[in-house]
Amino acid sequence: MLGAGQAVRPQRILWSDFLERDAVERLGIDWRGSHVATLDLYQSRSGAADPLFRRIFGAGAAAGGILLLVITGYLIINTLPLWAIQSPFSFISTTAWITGIEQADGSTLEVYGAASALFGTAATSLIAVLFAAPIGILGAIYLVEFAPKRLAIPLTFLVELIAAIPSVVFGLWALGDLSIRLRDSIEWWVASTLGQVIPWLSEDPGSPAADSVFRAGFLLAIMILPMIVAVSREFLRSVPISLREGYIGMGATKWEAIRNVVVPTARVGLIGAVLLALGRAIGETIAVTMVIGNAEGIPSSLFLPGNSVAAKIAGNIGEASTEVQLSALVALGLALFLLSFVISLIVRISLRRFAAIKAVS
Amino acid sequence: MSRAELTVREALLEPGARDLRRARTDWIMRRVVEIAAFLAVLPLFALVLFVTLRALPWLSPEFFFNNPLDTQPGIFNAIIGSLQMSALALLITGPIGVAGGVYLSEFASARVASIGEMVIDILLGIPSIVAGLFAFLLLVPILGFSGWAGSLALSVLTLPIVMRTTQEVVRLVPPSVREASLALGVPVWRTTLLVTLRTALPGVLTGLVLAASRALGETAPLIMTAKGTNASNFLDFGTTMNAMPLVIYRYAEAADDRTIGQAWATALVLMVIALTLNVIVRWRTIDSRVA
Repeated sequence: MLGAGQAVRPQRILWSDFLERDAVERLGIDWRGSHVATLDLYQSRSGAADPLFRRIFGAGAAAGGILLLVITGYLIINTLPLWAIQSPFSFISTTAWITGIEQADGSTLEVYGAASALFGTAATSLIAVLFAAPIGILGAIYLVEFAPKRLAIPLTFLVELIAAIPSVVFGLWALGDLSIRLRDSIEWWVASTLGQVIPWLSEDPGSPAADSVFRAGFLLAIMILPMIVAVSREFLRSVPISLREGYIGMGATKWEAIRNVVVPTARVGLIGAVLLALGRAIGETIAVTMVIGNAEGIPSSLFLPGNSVAAKIAGNIGEASTEVQLSALVALGLALFLLSFVISLIVRISLRRFAAIKAVS
Repeated sequence: MSRAELTVREALLEPGARDLRRARTDWIMRRVVEIAAFLAVLPLFALVLFVTLRALPWLSPEFFFNNPLDTQPGIFNAIIGSLQMSALALLITGPIGVAGGVYLSEFASARVASIGEMVIDILLGIPSIVAGLFAFLLLVPILGFSGWAGSLALSVLTLPIVMRTTQEVVRLVPPSVREASLALGVPVWRTTLLVTLRTALPGVLTGLVLAASRALGETAPLIMTAKGTNASNFLDFGTTMNAMPLVIYRYAEAADDRTIGQAWATALVLMVIALTLNVIVRWRTIDSRVA
């Protein structure tokens, strides 16, 4: 069932297995008279509390699984009222979000579409990865390959600290400082050069929008950077030093060794780092809500206000008055949940061979 | 450069145009990765500096010890609310998470452990808004908008953190330590609690602190559950409860300078708490992870 991964992960034989007679027999060991059997007998005399103890601890582990099942089930059940009036396909492909308008013939028009929110989530996440992936991976290369130890330790520490800052603080910072700087620098510059040719990079220079998709994406880039650096660093470090030495010993420069040996060896891990960060970016809520502008529809330019799935839920949950309205928001949440589910599954499958991923995620 | 300063390799190579180009590429890429590393830490300094500058004028004793509706408004109820909701979330998830983590690394078969790890991975990846939505749908109809609902929503996010760190650190305890205890005739349950878990305790505590730091900073689940309030409610989990992230979120786009200033001051307090917690637990282990 596990396929290739099984070959590397050794069969786990736990010390606790040895305390059960049948487990010992399963391993093909004659337990009678051996020290294993002694333990087993001892177990049955004074360890009467052990089975109960194990069950209690097992219940703790089961709580995680039950929680996941309940969340999934409850989200799905709560989307049912929406599927009664709309199909999942039309929910995903519609851009309009109309919560009930009286029409001329007396009926109410209700349409719920996730497309514009999904667009916002995809656009901000991709912008974030576009900025954060090169800087994060190159930064990790510096930390692993070039930085002297007394510089590598504090730098690694500082990058990790970025991840500790609450996202609402990032949102406030972006609102009061970063957004304005971006608008007057990168955004203005791109809009007045490339924007003249490419419509979705254009902006009215006279009255720039208060919020924009691009600024939300850039903020996300800063927020996911520590994750990319941390995961990439783990994988770059796991490349054996002898590979580098061999290549440099043949006359290569340090950079050539990194480009031709280290990075290709750690490639899967680097892609995993970016994917993990993408998952983080997709789920990020508050910071994006504060700077994306919460506008309806798909914006015609990245420098205009837009919306994201998480921001739409946060912004509309207070006003959801009918069951269908609420269930449409739950459907957005379910879409978000499934997206992050799929991403963590892909990462898990592709990185199963590496243990490093667990240490950092 | 005098001849004597060349390295042996450079001298042997008789540098031609191609070697010069390679050396130049190497030099340029070294500068590029240095700049990337610099850019990676730059936002931390920019953020800390800017938040501090904006917040300092608004910090005063009244800010910490008054409630929002007092004549000198403060965030006392938000500080209390954040602390007690995070504490309750940890009280709920601490024992469950530690027990689950220990089970997965000590008792579970390879198959169960692999499934358990996958479940934790997925739980860790749940967006905070989805956790909030879940609590809003399931808990708010039963408990109302309350501190209880807020704490439970935070628990959804802290449980996998505690479980994952516990599992990782318990796995690092050498088997010989357990075997020594078992050989002395100590039952499994005492060995696990008093030897294995005791050895892994610093790591388990690290996980709990990281979970606390996450719970203190979460906003989205609380918007939908604890909602925020101007009243003070010490240990009164039955009513709506204020929290520091909620204050920042609500005050961020206020019209008057004083309210916005309070958002910045609250952000500084929250940031200092989160950074302090992380510095404490991370600094201790940084050498082993970098070396």
